[in-house]
Amino acid sequence: MIYLDSAATTMQKPPAVPRAAAYAMTHMASPGRGGHQPAMRAAETAFACRRAAAELFGVSDPERVVFTLNATHGLNIAIRSLVRAGDRVLISGWEHNAVTRPLHGLDAEVVVAGGPLFDRAAQLAAFEQALEDGAKAAICTHVSNVFGFVLPVEEIAGLCRRRGVPFILDASQSAGCLPVRQEQLNAAFIAMPGHKGLYGPQGTGLLLCGEGQPEPLLEGGTGSLSALQTMPDFLPDRLEAGTHNMPGIAGLLEGLRYVRSRGTEAILRRERRLIRQAARGLAALPDLQVYEAENPVDQAGVLSFRVKGMDCEEVGELLGRHGIAVRAGLHCAPTAHQSAGTLETGTVRLSVSDFNTPAEIERLIYVLSRLGRE
Amino acid sequence: MVYYLIICRSLTYAQRTAAALERAGITAHIRRSPRAIDQEGCSHSVKVSERNLRNALLILNRVGLPPKRVFLMKGEGSYEEVLL
Repeated sequence: MIYLDSAATTMQKPPAVPRAAAYAMTHMASPGRGGHQPAMRAAETAFACRRAAAELFGVSDPERVVFTLNATHGLNIAIRSLVRAGDRVLISGWEHNAVTRPLHGLDAEVVVAGGPLFDRAAQLAAFEQALEDGAKAAICTHVSNVFGFVLPVEEIAGLCRRRGVPFILDASQSAGCLPVRQEQLNAAFIAMPGHKGLYGPQGTGLLLCGEGQPEPLLEGGTGSLSALQTMPDFLPDRLEAGTHNMPGIAGLLEGLRYVRSRGTEAILRRERRLIRQAARGLAALPDLQVYEAENPVDQAGVLSFRVKGMDCEEVGELLGRHGIAVRAGLHCAPTAHQSAGTLETGTVRLSVSDFNTPAEIERLIYVLSRLGRE
Repeated sequence: MVYYLIICRSLTYAQRTAAALERAGITAHIRRSPRAIDQEGCSHSVKVSERNLRNALLILNRVGLPPKRVFLMKGEGSYEEVLL
């Protein structure tokens, strides 16, 4: 199997990740829920994971690193902490349903700061203009999960800061391969999955919290202030009701260690090289439309394409029959497809990780080059 | 031996407290707070020896981790709050 669907989940993990998850399953209990050794072992692992994340993402205080189930969970906490019905909220034109559905559910007034694909300057200008009329919050993805477009989030965060508008960053596609530094962004929240670029198990995520008091999405036991019927007013307990996913957290810790030892720059360099290779190879084929940025810095490890005369799902299925895993359709991001003009057709998306090779990309190009002959 | 318990608002806070003390060379153990001194139910404490308490408090205030409350663990299993 050639796995090119890492924007959904990285499937090849560093070997230490499944090892740690398996160990946790039989050796770790609930952190903070007992004084016995398995509970304390779990507590040490959870704390080590918070510290590793705090270090990697420039968070001064590990208490502000909250474990979530995934980025969607974190985004829901962030959005529901800041937004109420009727509030004006700015988003980019490249957001995932993890952002747009909660906003829709809250009946917020959503303003899309739009711009052409791979045009960072236009994106920034759109946010600048939209911020003129104020907003309750601004939400922006760091990297489009459909096109790999790297948005100018540092600059957008700066604009929000100057206007006093809380900024939420969706780092689903950037955590682990692009610099994400809370100390520089000063975001209200940064949400990310553990199971993509951080190479942790599914069912893990991180929410990095800025200043302010977030609202819990779940309420229940936290192993603290148990005599009270209200959730603790301190982090991370306020947002972490219920038993922790210790196999996930133990695996995520190893994923974070892997990213740290490899270096995000090295990972990004590798992913970009593979994407450029794929884009060049696919663009040379007849009837393929490839969404590649002119400037490589505008695109991370995701590439979309369409095949003339073929439904994107058909292409995805055909590649699957050849042992190549890609994702086709709308990728839970109709807003992004609307922005790029691909809403009607969808696209085929390939997305790479640190474990993909040039030979795998060559194979993909070869299989697609044989399309018309099958 | 006489020990002191530094009461922390959460497990993570206790872990930060213990880590700061260990970095300064002070032995610190995390344990669940005894129910007798845990008014709001379920918290964690950091246990330090009598000779290290003064230094521990100085360090914790310096690194921005001021203790919530501190208790003296008496030999017979009772606790006495220390006025900070």
